[in-house]
Amino acid sequence: MSDIAVRVDHVTKSFRMYHERNQSLKSAIMRGRTSIHEDFLALDDVSFDVPAGSTFGLIGSNGSGKSTLLKCLANIYYPNKGAITHFGKIAAMLEVGSGFHAELSGRDNVFLNGSILGMSRKDVTRKFDEIIDFSGVEQFIDQPVKNYSSGMYVRLGFAIAINVDPDILVVDEVLAVGDAEFQEKCFQKFRDFKAAGKTVILVSHSMPTVQAMCDQTAWLDHGVLKAAGPAKSTIKAYLKSLNVEPD
Amino acid sequence: MKYLNEVWSSRELLFNLVSRDVRGKYKRTVFGQLWSLANPLALMLIYSLVFGVFFPSNPRAGDPSGLNVFALWLLCGLLPWTFFSAVVSSGAGSLVDNANLIQKVSFSRIVLPFSTVGAAAYNWMFEIAVLLIAITIAGGFVLPWIPLVIVAMALLALFAAGVALLFSIANVYFRDTQYLLTIVLQFWLYLTPIIYPIERVANKSAEIGGLGGTPVRIVDIYNFNPMVHFVALFRELIYDNRFPDPLEWLICLIWAVAALSFGMLVFRKNERNLAEAL
Repeated sequence: MSDIAVRVDHVTKSFRMYHERNQSLKSAIMRGRTSIHEDFLALDDVSFDVPAGSTFGLIGSNGSGKSTLLKCLANIYYPNKGAITHFGKIAAMLEVGSGFHAELSGRDNVFLNGSILGMSRKDVTRKFDEIIDFSGVEQFIDQPVKNYSSGMYVRLGFAIAINVDPDILVVDEVLAVGDAEFQEKCFQKFRDFKAAGKTVILVSHSMPTVQAMCDQTAWLDHGVLKAAGPAKSTIKAYLKSLNVEPD
Repeated sequence: MKYLNEVWSSRELLFNLVSRDVRGKYKRTVFGQLWSLANPLALMLIYSLVFGVFFPSNPRAGDPSGLNVFALWLLCGLLPWTFFSAVVSSGAGSLVDNANLIQKVSFSRIVLPFSTVGAAAYNWMFEIAVLLIAITIAGGFVLPWIPLVIVAMALLALFAAGVALLFSIANVYFRDTQYLLTIVLQFWLYLTPIIYPIERVANKSAEIGGLGGTPVRIVDIYNFNPMVHFVALFRELIYDNRFPDPLEWLICLIWAVAALSFGMLVFRKNERNLAEAL
C-alpha cells in the first residue's frame, strides 16, 4: 500500500444540532434531560484515497464538510462510521500559533508550540535555526509574542508547524495570511515537500491556488463526495456547478 | 496500559506546559514568584488571629516535638489544603480554558489537567520548604522526616490529580461545575480538621453517641473525608515529628490510587469527544 498515503473509507460524521441545550445542572435535574437535538450529517459516506506524494486539494462551498473532514484527518474529530487510515506520520496545521503564550518570548514559544505539535526538545533544538530563518523574525525572537505584528505571529507559527516534518501534512486555509513574499515561500516549501515524496492535503477556496498546487482534488457538497480525481476535471466540474466559467 | 504509555510519552509536553504556566504567571510583576507565598501567608494571619486568639481552637502541643505554635500547627494542615484546592479548581477549568487548542491540535488531552497539578506543585514545594525552615527555627526536628514528607506530598498530588480530572470533564458538560466547586471547596475546608483539631470532633461525637440509635457516630462519617487523613499525615510528620499510623498511610494510598484510576478512566472515555463538546 505504499502508493496510498491516506485512505478515507466510508466516513460518516454527524453532529448534534441542539434546539435546546442546557449545560446546567438545574435544567438537567428539573426536566430530566439535558437537551433536545437532531443529528446533522456533516459527512455522508465519503470514500477516497489520497495517493502518496501528491498534493491533494479539498474543495467545495461553505458548509460542505471540508473542515470537518480535515479535523477527522487530524484526529481531532472521530468519525461515527467508517475509518481513516494513514500510512506514515501525519501532522495538521489547522491554525498557526496554537498554544502560544502571549507573555513568553518567541524563543520559548517555539519550544512550547513544537512540543504541542509533537516534536521532542531535541528536534526543536536541531531545527531551531531553520525555523527562525524561515519565519524571518530573528531580530525579535527574544521579545514576548504579544508584541509581534499579526504577520510575524503567523510566520513564526507556520515556520514551526512546517518543520514538524511529517509524511503527510494537512493544511487548512492558513495561507491566506502573510504577505506575498511569505506566501511564495510557503508554496516553495510545499513543492519541496512534494519533491521529497511527501503528501500535502489542503483546503482552499481559492481555485487558482488549488489549480496551481494540487494534482488531485476531492469536491464535497453538503457532506457528499461529488467527485474525486485529477485536479483539472474536478475543479472544472465544481466551477460549472457554481455557474462560473473556468478560465 | 497502552493509554498509560501514551500519557508517559507526552511527558515532555507536560513539562513544557507546566513551565509555560509557571513562567507566564508572574511575568511583569515586581515580586514575581514571591506572590505565590502571599496567599498562604495571608490565610495564616487571618486564621491565627481568629482561631488562635479570638476563638482559640487550642490544638495540643506537638508530640514528641513539643512545638506549641498555633500558626505553625495551622500551616501544616493549611498548605496541603491550599495545594489541593488550587489543583482542583484550576484543573476543573483546564479543558474549557484551552478549548481553542483542543479544537485545533491533536495531542494527549490529559496533559492539560495534569499541567495544572505540576504548576501548583511547583509553588507548593516552595511553601513547604519555607514551612520546614520555620519549624526547624521553632525547635522542631523535621529533617529526618523530609523523605516521608515528599512521599506524602506525592500521594496528595496523585489524589488531587484524580479529582481534578473528574471535575475537568464535568465542567465541559456542565459549566456550572466551576461555580459549584467554589462552594464545595468552602464546605470541604471546614469539614477538614485544618483550623481546629480533630479531637474536637471526636469529643463531640462521643458526647452525642450513635446517630438515631445506630452505632454510626459522627466521627465515622467525618472520616470518610480523605483530606482528614492527608492532613493527619502532614501534621504528624511535620508538626509532631513522628511516624504516622501505617493505617493512615494505607488509607491515603487507597484514596490516591482510587481517585487517579477512576479519574483517568472517566477522562479516557470522554477524551475523544472533547473537541465537539467544547
